Amino acid sequence: MTKKVEYWIKIPFGPIHPGLEEPEKFILTLDGERIVNVDVKLGYNLRGLQWIAYRRNYVQIMYLAERICGICSFSHNHTYTRAVEEAAGIEVPERAEYIRAIIGELERVHSHLLNLGVLGHDIGYDTVLHLTWLARERVMDVLEAISGNRVNYSMVTIGGVRRDIDEKGKRLILDMIKYYRSIMPQIEEVFLHDPTIEARLRDCAVISKRVALEQGAVGPTARASGLKVDARWSERLGVYPDLGVKPVMPQDVTGEKPHGDVFDRAAVRIGEIYQSLDMLEHALDQMPEGKIKTFPKDNILVAKLKIMVDGEGIGRYEAPRGELVHYVRGKKGSDKPLRWKPREPTFPNLFAVAKGVTGDQVADFVLAVASIDPCLSCTDRVAVVQDGKKRILTETDLLRLSIKKTREINPEVKGDPTPVGFGCSR
Amino acid sequence: MADDNRIMENVDNVREPTKEDTVAETIKSRFPNAHVEIRENKWGRKRVWVIVPREDYKALMKFLLELDPEAHYSIGIEQDYGEEIGYMSHILLHYDNAPAVSLLVDVRVPKDDPVIPDISDIFPIALQYEREAAEMMGIVFEGIPDSRRLFLPDDFPEGIYPLRLDEKGIPEEIVKNAGHPYYLKGGDK
Repeated sequence: MTKKVEYWIKIPFGPIHPGLEEPEKFILTLDGERIVNVDVKLGYNLRGLQWIAYRRNYVQIMYLAERICGICSFSHNHTYTRAVEEAAGIEVPERAEYIRAIIGELERVHSHLLNLGVLGHDIGYDTVLHLTWLARERVMDVLEAISGNRVNYSMVTIGGVRRDIDEKGKRLILDMIKYYRSIMPQIEEVFLHDPTIEARLRDCAVISKRVALEQGAVGPTARASGLKVDARWSERLGVYPDLGVKPVMPQDVTGEKPHGDVFDRAAVRIGEIYQSLDMLEHALDQMPEGKIKTFPKDNILVAKLKIMVDGEGIGRYEAPRGELVHYVRGKKGSDKPLRWKPREPTFPNLFAVAKGVTGDQVADFVLAVASIDPCLSCTDRVAVVQDGKKRILTETDLLRLSIKKTREINPEVKGDPTPVGFGCSR
Repeated sequence: MADDNRIMENVDNVREPTKEDTVAETIKSRFPNAHVEIRENKWGRKRVWVIVPREDYKALMKFLLELDPEAHYSIGIEQDYGEEIGYMSHILLHYDNAPAVSLLVDVRVPKDDPVIPDISDIFPIALQYEREAAEMMGIVFEGIPDSRRLFLPDDFPEGIYPLRLDEKGIPEEIVKNAGHPYYLKGGDK
């Protein structure tokens, strides 16, 4: 009886690849097709924002915070603003709170539709990508009409919002809600009832409740694993309790117990789009008249913050991807913060996915991290760990091994066994 | 009548202890050296801020899991207080029972001895925040299972901690300008 030898192969996944939107590196340890371990290396896109923030005042950092992410730019700006408002003790007018909630929910709709499209693309269904991204255009147009921008809306300021939503804006949003109510059953049908897509998404990258808890997973990832979490709901943030916010669990959409796979995550996103549409309707209905910001001009705001910020504040908000936290600490007499730290929802989710994908096939990894969009990088070299000893294989070694294997399988193949040049053999 | 009024006033003053009060009281009674404070912000959200000495830090973190085995570790913040270096953790207790208890645990150590116990055996995700704190602020986590860098590149010089405000922060010489057209060093170059 021959002894089975286990080969563990390490493959770099990233950092630069045409399929990756952002450079990030995962090192997959594989046993055949099965993923044994995932190691995450971050920082390829680190822009040193916290370092820059030491040299900016509170109002300037708003623009910096907004540019952390294009898709959830409102969320970052909003959460940072909340942190400063807590540190300074500033109250926000009620109408401004409603406008914040409206922009936040519009952003959630577009972000979730984008995410579902990317999911469709990653399983090879570009028709689904085009369907969802076409639907997404409508909410982008509404955001442009209200704020003037398709990304980086600059709607929030410390102590309120910059722009009001007038009657025309209200009508646009109501028309948009009607449009999404008509198209969402179609998208739901595609993701939850199409047999091919369902077969691909089910039981893929299961994050158990325990792993989600240990790795501090947030947002749709955590809810799909059965954790009843939502920062808007648990924080009793602004007017959200009046709008009837509650965590959307997979059983609310599919009627089944949460399993923590990719299917459940897609289901949670679809359920949240429906919830956002309801909340938008309530918000437009209940929005009171009144002023929209506490401080009329930015120079007054900078001067006031210099006196008012004394101490520390934490802002928490449920961005489309999950709980977002910003921390601000300042001292009286200085218009610059002593510390500003943002924490994005992807950070804990990344480590949760890395744990959850263990034991799955390599092909599932792309789907598992579909929300971050990585792709398999070219394997220019491979490290093989055999009997505890590690050796690096170059391209020539790989080619030689490949030829050897081909000859073993089919002795009929003729030709020179030693490869010449790079990437070609005679 | 006057007595009745006084009784009614007292009834108004007596209120049910909130979840925050209960958590703060339990921590106070168990760890007398910890400084516990409840602060409320303008929209009525209460947070429990705890400053704990290094000796009690790990025991306190373990105790939080006794209070709520499903506690959510939200963020670890490394800080430079001048003479001291701090590491603050934001933890949510009773997350599935809104509003959750928002708890901030701060531990501060002198700059010449920046050693803080590692808590990744209690909250596994804390390991990643600690790796970040170690490379950015120079905190040494005692017993950390994985001390590799997380964000900084491998060729970044040793002994320089970018987020420190003292002489160990980034000197001007090593800031790379990547050819930005609007970057004017010193004003005229």
